[in-house]
Amino acid sequence: MGRIQTFKRHDKIPGRVFIEIDQERCTDCGVCLRANICPVKALYQPETPWPREVRSILSNPLIEFKGSQVPGRGTEEMKTNDVSGRFRPGEVGVGIELGRPGVGAYFRDVEIVAMELAPLGYEFAGENPITHFMSDKKTGKLRDDILAEKATSAIVEGKCKLENLPAILEAIRRASKKISSVFTVEVITKVSPEGEIPIKPVLERLGYWYSINTKNNMGLGEPAFKFYEDQ
Amino acid sequence: MTHSLHRRGDSEDLKGDFVVLGCPATGINKPGSAPKTREFLSLCYKNGPVNLGDMKTGNIYNTTMDDILSHVTDGTIVQCTFDNREKIVSLLKDLKEKRPGISVIISGISDIVQQCMEEAGLGRIHTIEYSLGTWGRKELLPEFEILKTHTMCGHAMIGANLIRKMVRDVKRGRKTVEEACLEMAKCCTCGNYNPARGIKLLKELLPLYMVHSLY
Repeated sequence: MGRIQTFKRHDKIPGRVFIEIDQERCTDCGVCLRANICPVKALYQPETPWPREVRSILSNPLIEFKGSQVPGRGTEEMKTNDVSGRFRPGEVGVGIELGRPGVGAYFRDVEIVAMELAPLGYEFAGENPITHFMSDKKTGKLRDDILAEKATSAIVEGKCKLENLPAILEAIRRASKKISSVFTVEVITKVSPEGEIPIKPVLERLGYWYSINTKNNMGLGEPAFKFYEDQ
Repeated sequence: MTHSLHRRGDSEDLKGDFVVLGCPATGINKPGSAPKTREFLSLCYKNGPVNLGDMKTGNIYNTTMDDILSHVTDGTIVQCTFDNREKIVSLLKDLKEKRPGISVIISGISDIVQQCMEEAGLGRIHTIEYSLGTWGRKELLPEFEILKTHTMCGHAMIGANLIRKMVRDVKRGRKTVEEACLEMAKCCTCGNYNPARGIKLLKELLPLYMVHSLY
């Protein structure tokens, strides 16, 4: 989040300086407490009543969101696709992780992205925390009381049909011009038994950069999901 | 959750950087998954990871392997980081033989991961996830050389300012490069930080930054 502490002089004790954490910029990730960096152990985590509570849910990797039952910020997504069949042939998983890497994002920016995607046949992942915080899942509108809250990263997760991918990516590009932070974008696809990766030609045709390093499901989970009739 | 996907670097740099996850599936094979996850962790440990941990308990730099194993419950997601492809091939051969039964995910250069699978006698990658990079106000990002270390912890627990402080501490003689990387490894709770790559990157960073004072 950058340098979020401020040095101040004590108003009653001459010469004494102390540090305060800027609570507006802090996302309650808890790393300063776990790293035990304060030599006099003066750091503490203030109470986080609602709606501030959402900051730690989306920022502190040790906190598990009960809706997803996964610690961290998102869902199992493609990690368990070999047994869950979440992303089937002809479908593309698309994730937009606001605030990443290391910048942080307000939920009002998350709402901008979600509302751009909602009308385009983008199916929000039901177990994702951001989907849970939506007041209207059809429009992507988030609850008003969390819009001024900030998280280290907040993932809008979902999937669409392969033929909708160009429109979804264009919507994400539009949203990127409206937000006050950054986001990373990821796309997921089932690889065919012949090794064909259906999204690659689409990305290449449209001129989108994609990484050489990827996240790869090995297909070792059991019981294996039956993706094809002849399996 | 894509905390091992968006690692930044070129092919030469990333070819020695692999994160292996073991993940049971909610509603499918999560009940009774603890012994399978422990077996998966043991197989990984046998093959010499440079980091290993679970998000809730910590990693081998801030706790012990015994502690991590003892805290594995049904549904625990574990991750191990490796620094070369030979270890990945050996691990995949073990996984093919023992088949713990939970989902296994490897983040790394996709061509190399596919080669490792073939060498281990496994078929094609099952499902693949690509990063399309960072969009939006990219002027807010730290420098690319800092990002290479920062993105090794996808949860952003190794802040850009911590990396800069480590550079200053090494330059001022307060820490060795190895000690600085150990401190960063402790912050990355789930064990995705690759200390072997981290040492290399920090050494590359040192000549790029100046400190105002050596004291």
